[in-house]
Amino acid sequence: MLRKSLAGLLAGVGMTLAGAATAHAEDLTIFWAEWDPANYLQELVNEYAAESGDTITVETTPWSDFQTKAFTEFNAKGDAYDMVVGDSQWLGAGSTGGHYVDLTEFFKKNKLDEVMAPATVKYYAEYPGNSGKYWAVPLEGDAVGWAYRKDWFEDPKEKEAFKAKYGYELDVPKDFKQLRDIAEFFYRPDEKRYGIAIYTQTTYDALAMGFENALFSYGGELGDYTTYKVKDIINSPVAIEALEAYKELYKFTPPNWGNTFFQEDNQAITEGLAAMSMNYFAFFPSLLNEATNPNAKVTGFFANPAGPRGDQFAALGGQGISIVSYSKKQDASMKFLEWFIKDSTQKRWAELGGYTASQAVLKSPEFQNATPYNKAFYETMFKVKDFWAVPEYAELLTQLNNRLGPYVVGDKGTAKEALDGLADDWTATFTKYGRYTN
Amino acid sequence: MATAVMTRLDPQSRAAARGWSDLSIRNLFILPTIAFLIVFNIFPLIYSLGYSFTDYRASTNAPANFIGLANYRDLLNDDFIWNNFIVTAKYVLVSVSGQVIVGFGIALLLNRAIPFKGLITTLLLLPMMMSMAVVGLFWKLLYDPSWGIINYVFRLGDFAWLSNRDAALYAVAITDIWMWSPFVMLLSLAGLSAVPKHLYEAAAIDRAGTWYTFTRITLPLVAPILLIAIIFRTMEAFKTFDLAYIMSSQDTTELISIKLYKMAFQEWQTGKSSALAYIVLIMVLAITNIYVKYLNRVKER
Amino acid sequence: MAAVKSSGALVGNRLAITAILVITIVFLAPIYWIASTAFKPRALATTVPPTVFFQPEITPFIKLFVKRVQLTKPVDPAVYEAAPWWEKRIFDNGERVLRTGPNVQLSAYPSRFMNSLIIAITSTVLAVGMGTFTAYGFSRFKIKGEQDLLFFILSTRMLPPVVVAIPMFLMYRAVGMTDTHIGLIVLYTAFNLSFSVWLMKGFMDEIPKEYEEAALVDGYTRMQAFFKIVLPEAATGIAATAVFCFITAWNEYAFALIMTNRRAQTAPPFIPSQLGSGVIDWTVIAAGTFLFLLPVAIFTFALRGHLLRGVTFGAIRK
Repeated sequence: MLRKSLAGLLAGVGMTLAGAATAHAEDLTIFWAEWDPANYLQELVNEYAAESGDTITVETTPWSDFQTKAFTEFNAKGDAYDMVVGDSQWLGAGSTGGHYVDLTEFFKKNKLDEVMAPATVKYYAEYPGNSGKYWAVPLEGDAVGWAYRKDWFEDPKEKEAFKAKYGYELDVPKDFKQLRDIAEFFYRPDEKRYGIAIYTQTTYDALAMGFENALFSYGGELGDYTTYKVKDIINSPVAIEALEAYKELYKFTPPNWGNTFFQEDNQAITEGLAAMSMNYFAFFPSLLNEATNPNAKVTGFFANPAGPRGDQFAALGGQGISIVSYSKKQDASMKFLEWFIKDSTQKRWAELGGYTASQAVLKSPEFQNATPYNKAFYETMFKVKDFWAVPEYAELLTQLNNRLGPYVVGDKGTAKEALDGLADDWTATFTKYGRYTN
Repeated sequence: MATAVMTRLDPQSRAAARGWSDLSIRNLFILPTIAFLIVFNIFPLIYSLGYSFTDYRASTNAPANFIGLANYRDLLNDDFIWNNFIVTAKYVLVSVSGQVIVGFGIALLLNRAIPFKGLITTLLLLPMMMSMAVVGLFWKLLYDPSWGIINYVFRLGDFAWLSNRDAALYAVAITDIWMWSPFVMLLSLAGLSAVPKHLYEAAAIDRAGTWYTFTRITLPLVAPILLIAIIFRTMEAFKTFDLAYIMSSQDTTELISIKLYKMAFQEWQTGKSSALAYIVLIMVLAITNIYVKYLNRVKER
Repeated sequence: MAAVKSSGALVGNRLAITAILVITIVFLAPIYWIASTAFKPRALATTVPPTVFFQPEITPFIKLFVKRVQLTKPVDPAVYEAAPWWEKRIFDNGERVLRTGPNVQLSAYPSRFMNSLIIAITSTVLAVGMGTFTAYGFSRFKIKGEQDLLFFILSTRMLPPVVVAIPMFLMYRAVGMTDTHIGLIVLYTAFNLSFSVWLMKGFMDEIPKEYEEAALVDGYTRMQAFFKIVLPEAATGIAATAVFCFITAWNEYAFALIMTNRRAQTAPPFIPSQLGSGVIDWTVIAAGTFLFLLPVAIFTFALRGHLLRGVTFGAIRK
């Protein structure tokens, strides 16, 4: 059997080599993080290769070092990647550092600001805010949503007990208070069942993304993105309330949930640990696949709930595709982008599993009914907000992790102390980079 | 142990008359290596010493501004950096003492006639030959709270080794102990086998107790070589990056190398990270100095 | 102790042997576990309680070598039937193989593995080559400040990689050497060179200088004596040093992580990057790890007589 498999693989290698030798005008490389959408993109660009003759490889690296890898390459002025599907936070560093090619003309010529969903244009493409300068084409829309155990929620006995305890029907939570109640309700350590799975990891943007879901729905903000004022915004009473609410949720997580991000949150569902789990929509395909999730049939999805005053927002994920300015194949890359923004391509992209940012496709019933979570995704994409996109965003994230991490998972200090400290840190950082001089 | 003192040929000896002179052969053999090491190890360090006095960021096109000792002052006043050093010290202490206890213990057990001794010793040495990054990766599987074999074997339920804020550093240290105890074992075995047999025989005739024999004969004679193992492992543990970086990612396991990496290649504070690199470098060189001193002492025996 | 043959000592010996066996098993268990996971069906890799006995299969290795994507809907039965046996395995795992036209797309693993081989072998040849000459120089000639020079050489080996990486990154950037094979080869050569000099000096010191002197008397030049007499005598030492250098370069992570991207990336930073999205497929990671550790395991056995010497930079010989 070993021999047979080797023969099969060798045949595959042979064909690949033969294929590489005959075809193509250009070999392009797109850099992205390691997740399902990158594989879907590989499938999409394979179709481009068949049409145009230019082959494209999607190179990936895990999320944990995606940012570092991309920026070591940018800062080395390397041409390993022709295009990069970069995080929205990178726009500032990418544009002011000269790593990204200016796509403003391309954007305007193709009226992409009308074609693509407004939030994706605002957060994935434009920098600085409201400048009318564009550096990326929205490629993968994404936001934080929730997966939940339909079977637990729909169990008549649970419904009855829940109503008796909280006085209202057990259903998908409409606001953070209900989210909290349901988490508390299902928190049963002796049955190895827990209420909720949230992001708590203090590296890169995990904790920031998790906290933002509470912060924005509570009506808070990280700061003023035009004046860089953070004092009395990030540590305002609503922000403190939101952080306290987020910490409250941590009480109902599975044990030792203090270092978690998307993988752990998906595991919370696949292993039947939690009733509800926060995650980016793009990580949901593996929750629908029975090969990876034994509970696939009983997993449902909902959008991030509203806060106490009715505001409803979610933390933005997702990326736009940019052309790397050090690439020697910018023309071929441009040609690819032109193909990519075609309506037919966007439709195909959505079919393959990508989250298109194209408004027309998003609004189509085919898209909204394609998966159990697409509708929640569509709703969320019109109420998203994002982290700072300034070049020094990585320092801002470190400071947020240093201040909020010990409070949320380490029980140190109060929400007010954590956010006051963060406001001071951020003010110091913005001062250091001269954000207040003009 | 071989004699280190070799009689040397005079550079102007007989052979000098034919072909290349000994002097030029010596230079040809040695100078390229020295030059290579200077260009690729020393020059970069001089280069970064310069940057450590600036606010340079490799991520921008802005020129570097000289800011004197400000980076060093900021770093030494930063509680978070001190915390990184404390975490590192804790890690070094736990992991090195664990390695010494386990490694020396195994060496004592192995120091006798045992069937397949050679094979067993070699098998035990496998872990330390492996890539730290890959070892860290597969220990993540072993430590998994739900299906990890460790929790299953030791009946620990769903204890989350790597997510628990207090346990994570110990979990990384345990992996390090698994990897490097064999190193201490190997050196201890060499030390133990060098203890003259007649000393034990004499002790047995005097009816000396096992403890007495151990503390008065075995330990003092093995001590120098054990010390080498300890210093070397201390130095390596102090530098640890791969293992902790792959296995865990929280502030309670952020060793100084990881902090340095993040500051340099995630936040791109090139000037400040160069300063931190120098602080770390001075500490490493201090340990290296002690190490080499002891290495030479043992060598001369 | 073995000299004393009392019954107490015998019992003690038996206890010690039992303890050694238990310890050996405990030490090897993690290695066994990762190796066995490489041959498990995916569903059995993460079971509670852990699966020890199973029908080994090769699917993880197939998955390791091809590019796959998660199925979003069930496979068309006709397509499934028409697929070769190994592709069916992938369908069974809820994934499908990516193709460009009829060609199967390979994963990045083979190219990373090749990079590891190229970089480790080349840097080993360079480090051992230069190290052998230099060690001979230190062993046979008078050198002013020899101890200081040797300390300098050794200390370069002790530098933490991240410390060196910061300026090296800036320098490589200036000359366009990031993400190149040659860039990593140079770094690994520098890293291994000091080790190679120290170890080879020990081996050289052991070769009696009378051998060369006899050759010199016979009319050899010093160069001829070095190549024809000393090098063959040092062959074992060179081989042992080479294996050590190879393993160090093969295993290195930090430089590779920082200095390379897609072109020259080696296996150590790549293998963890297969952790993938939503749910981790441990069987594929185990398969990649297994292939990567195999050469090291073989070399460890080949080297067993020289390990002590290697880890002490030649200071302690058996």
